[in-house]
This record gives sequence, structure tokens and C-alpha cells, in this order.
Amino acid sequence: MEILQNLMTGFGIALSLQNIGYCLAGVFFGQMIGVLPGIGAPTAIAILLPLTFHVNPTSAIIMFAGIYYGVAYGGTITSVLINVPGESSSVMTCVDGYAMAQKGRAGAALSVAAIGSWIAGTFAVVLLMCFAPALAKFALRFGPGEYFGLALMSFGLLTVFGGGDPIKVIFSTLVGLLIATIGLDVVSGVPRFAFGVPQLLGGIDFVVVICGIFGLAEVFNSIEEPEEGELLKQKIRLKDVFLTKADWIASRWAIVRGGIIGFFVGIIPAGGITTASFLAYLAEKRVSKHPERFGKGAIEGVAAPESANNAASISGFAPLLALGIPGSPTTAVMLAGFMMWGIRPGPLLFQNNADLVWGLIASKFMGNLILLIMNLFLIPLFVLVLRVPYTILMNFIVIFAAVGAYTVNNNLFDVWVMVGFGILGYLMKKLNYPIVPLVLGLVLGRLAENSLRQALTISGGSISIFIERPITVIFLILALLGYLTPLIRWGMRRFGLRGLGLNVEKL
Amino acid sequence: MWLGQLIAALCVIGLGAGVIVFSWDLQYFSEFGPGPGFLPQLLGYGITLCGAVILIKVLRAKERGGGFVKPRTLLGAKFLALIIPAFLLFPVLGFSVGLALLTGVTMRIMGRHDWLQCLITTVAVAVGIRYVFADWLTIPIPAGLLGW
Repeated sequence: MEILQNLMTGFGIALSLQNIGYCLAGVFFGQMIGVLPGIGAPTAIAILLPLTFHVNPTSAIIMFAGIYYGVAYGGTITSVLINVPGESSSVMTCVDGYAMAQKGRAGAALSVAAIGSWIAGTFAVVLLMCFAPALAKFALRFGPGEYFGLALMSFGLLTVFGGGDPIKVIFSTLVGLLIATIGLDVVSGVPRFAFGVPQLLGGIDFVVVICGIFGLAEVFNSIEEPEEGELLKQKIRLKDVFLTKADWIASRWAIVRGGIIGFFVGIIPAGGITTASFLAYLAEKRVSKHPERFGKGAIEGVAAPESANNAASISGFAPLLALGIPGSPTTAVMLAGFMMWGIRPGPLLFQNNADLVWGLIASKFMGNLILLIMNLFLIPLFVLVLRVPYTILMNFIVIFAAVGAYTVNNNLFDVWVMVGFGILGYLMKKLNYPIVPLVLGLVLGRLAENSLRQALTISGGSISIFIERPITVIFLILALLGYLTPLIRWGMRRFGLRGLGLNVEKL
Repeated sequence: MWLGQLIAALCVIGLGAGVIVFSWDLQYFSEFGPGPGFLPQLLGYGITLCGAVILIKVLRAKERGGGFVKPRTLLGAKFLALIIPAFLLFPVLGFSVGLALLTGVTMRIMGRHDWLQCLITTVAVAVGIRYVFADWLTIPIPAGLLGW
């Protein structure tokens, strides 16, 4: 009953003319950005974040949430029409989506993706509504030990879900933590790694780092390795987007399964929408009576990953809102936004900023509906965006990144720091060092260090404080399992055991 | 790419060693608990260890092919070479004119657009930046000698 009351309050906020406008803008721009290769949701939010200093935080977060799930769907359009995923979460959609488009069924592929996203998204919002407040209530019992364990678990899970070389994932996390230590120490007031530079005494703002590492670095990477594909010359008429009865029968359970998988994977810190779409595709292929159809234009091969990535993009807000722990790079950037607006996500957010939380949750119902309507009617418009020359587009990214970095402290020093991180991000990506752990380490660095120091201060320096309470022990065991993943994988290979089979090449 | 990986691994070790050296003077433990040097020192050791493992993996790698410089790498370097002077000239040109010139020049040099298109875009971007950021969003972006 309390949830329904809160939801009504949320609708009162979300349905104001101003917030409808921000939601509409977020979903619209999110889809445009999703269509463009080389710019993802974290980049878009990072470069727009500093521009929302003067905007009401509730409106800004509603807009960013719209961008997030708009991007998740926008990537589908390029996956289906040019076989290039606009977003990593749409990689699996390419497999059957493009095959459908080649058979002249691009409209149906885009339509099932939109409808699946809407159904799974709405389902995820209902679960989020029930789950997030309960999680927040539970988290009220957390002390510094638990928060340190939680941060450590998030870092540990990155080695499982982050992909790539686990040692590089750990290194990248440590660099993020290191950047977070730059500036005056909050406890002793001693400067750390400032090297006499006055601008570094206040630390390096994560918005500046994010603008460089996601914005500028993406420009360099896209110049070097442009994602090119041939646009299918296929006219999508309105009647093509309506699904047939056979399409509905084939995709209905795929949407349900994709939605459930997406929701639960999205909740896991570091789980992410890409993992959700991979797992949903894999699961759908396993349960299918005709797995041989996958890869040749099976409609359920589009419905499952698309439903999963939308559900995960919504459930990813649960750890962010209830615990203050981001589950993906995009929610990590949003956490930076919350901090910029002076709001600390976590258990108390549901009490202290109930309007914001419930306004955001209610806006997701609205956003998903806007997404569905836009996709059924505006696909040709989004396809036009693909024709913008990259030389113009990359300058827009640079303009937003430069202004964004400058806006944080109104000084040019931050613009140069942004350029430095842009080069670092480019080199890291080129040399296969993951960027996401660095961002997560940076955003959670202060929380992790302060919690660790508080816990050890309380215990007089004894690490027994981390094994006194069961929740901390669970978090630390999960963290340890995450860090031991490379060894477990090595052991499985060594003794000839098969893993989960999550191998993209084999799909 | 192998050489690039090797250099990167050495840089990682260098970074770790640097962190240990620079955090050495910071107090590791105080009477109230961990001091300001506690985490940095642990991070320094962690980074060095990661660097050592990466280095071993690179040295043991059987495949050593693939160059660091790809056909379009120089294009990226060219863009960086255009960004740096444009940003250096911000105090003189201001944000809007500096970024607009960067757009026009990159369109001409990297995109091979015709002069008229570049000129129109440059003017439009300068006006757009001024209007959107300075007037509409009231961000105090630095103005140059032209007052823009």
C-alpha cells in the first residue's frame, strides 16, 4: 500500500510538464546517440552532466534515465539495419536482427525489439519498485565494514563480468582508486600526489575524468577504427512494423525470459546490460526446440536480448539508489551526477529524497511508453542520423567534453586534465586495458577508503571487524571469489572442465 | 602490438614504484587508525604486482605480431595535433571561436569538405556555442580578445 502511495506521489512529479519534456528529450536524444557508433550512454551522460548544474536534480536524473534506456534501444536500429551495434549491449541483436533485415523483415525486428523492451522494461520497473525500497531498508543496518565489503565485492565482480584479462581489470580498478586519493586527505588534511599544483589539492573531479576517458578517448578510437557498415536499402513502412500472430507466439516467452534474466543480471553490481543480453540470447538458444534457426533470422533471437538489456538498464538503478553502488558504467556516471547535485544515493535516499526516487521510478513507466511510440513511428528519422559526417560529430563530442570539463571548476586546467585522460583512455583501449573498472574505482574510491579507515579506526586497527558481521563476510567471500576467477578458470582449463560456454564466437 | 604491450607493462611497474616512493613519506598508521599513506602504499604495491604479472604474460606470449600504429592512427594523431593549439589559444580566441575554428579546420583537413561548408559550419558553431552555453545555460565560458 505504501508503495502505491509513493508511486502516486512519483507520478505527480513525473507527469509535470517540465519532467515530461525532460523525459521526452532524454529518450529522443538517447536513441539518436544509440544510433551513432562510437558514443555510448556513459559518454552522452558524462558530457551532458556538467550542463545540468542549474537544472532541478529530479528533472536531470529523469532525462539521464531516458538517455540510458533510449541508448539501449537506439543501438538496435544500427544492429538490425547495418549489422553494426551502436552499443555493446546490442551485439547479440546483430546476429538475428540483421539476418531478419536481409530477409526483408527489418520492420518486424525493430518492432519486436521495441515491444519486448517496453514489456520487459515495464516489468522491471514494477520489480524495481518492490525491490529497491526493501534493499534500502536492509542496507540501513550497514556500517563502514559492510560498505567496504560492498565496494570490494563490486570491484571483485568486475573481474568476472568485466571481460578481458582479469589482471588488467584489477590494475585498472587500482588506478581508479589511486586517482580518487589525489588531493587533500579528508581525515588528516595532508595533500597526496598534488606535487605542489594548487589545482590538484581539491582532487581530480570524476566528471573531468569521465569527459576525457569516455568522450575524447572515444573520438580517437573511432577515428582509428571506424565502425562502418552498409545501410540496407530497405524502406520500412508502417505496416511492416506490425507483428504477425506467428511472431507473437515465437517471441512472447523470449520476452518474458529475457526480462527476468535482464532484471537479475542488472541488479548485480558490475553485471551490466551487455552481460544480460548475452545471457538472454544464450538461454533462448538453449531452450529453443529449433536452435538451428538462431543466427538465420529467428525473431526470438532479437526479442530475448533486447528485452534483457532494457530490463537490466532499469534494474541497474536498484544498487545505485538503494546502496549507492553503481552496477554499470552509466550508473557510475549518474552517481557522479548525484554527488555533483549534492545528493548521496544510498539507504537514506528513500527517506531524504523520496520525491526524486519515486519521480524517477514513475518516469520510467512514462519513458518506456514514449520509447515504444517513438520507435513505431520515428525509425526513418533515426536512420537519417547515420548520415551525419563523423568529422562534424567528433567535433561536437570535443565541444561538449571541453565545456563539460571547464564547467566543473571554471578553469582551463581541468580541460587539459580532460585531454590527458582522453589520451590515457585511448591508449588503454588500444592495449586492451578495460576502462570501466577505472571509472568504478574512481567513483567508489572515496567510499571504499573512508569506510576502510573508519572500520579500522573503530576496531583499533584490528581486521577482525571484517569477519564479525555475516553481511560483511558474505560480501568479502563474493569479492574473493571474483578475484579468484582467473585461477578458477585456469584450473578448469587445466583439468579439461567446461565453463558456462559464454563464448561469443561459438554463438 | 607486442612491443606496445611490453612498454605498457613497464609503465605499469613504473607507476606502481612511483606511487610507493611518493607515498612513502605519508603516515601509514596514526593513533586514530590508518593514516593518509595507508591506501596509497597498498595501491602502489598492488599496481607493481599487477605490472609484474602483466610483464611476465607479455614476455611469455607466443604471438608477437601486430603493429601499434594502424593505417588510421596518424589521422587520430593529426586530430590531437589540431586540438592542442586550439585549446592553447583559448585565452586569446575564447571558447566559442576556438572550438568553432577547430571544427572548421578538422572538417577541411580530415573530412575534405569544401571551403564554403567549412566556413558556414565554423560561424554556426561559434554562434551556437555562445548562444547555448553562455546565454541559455549561463555557463561562464571564457571569452577571447574579440569579446566572444
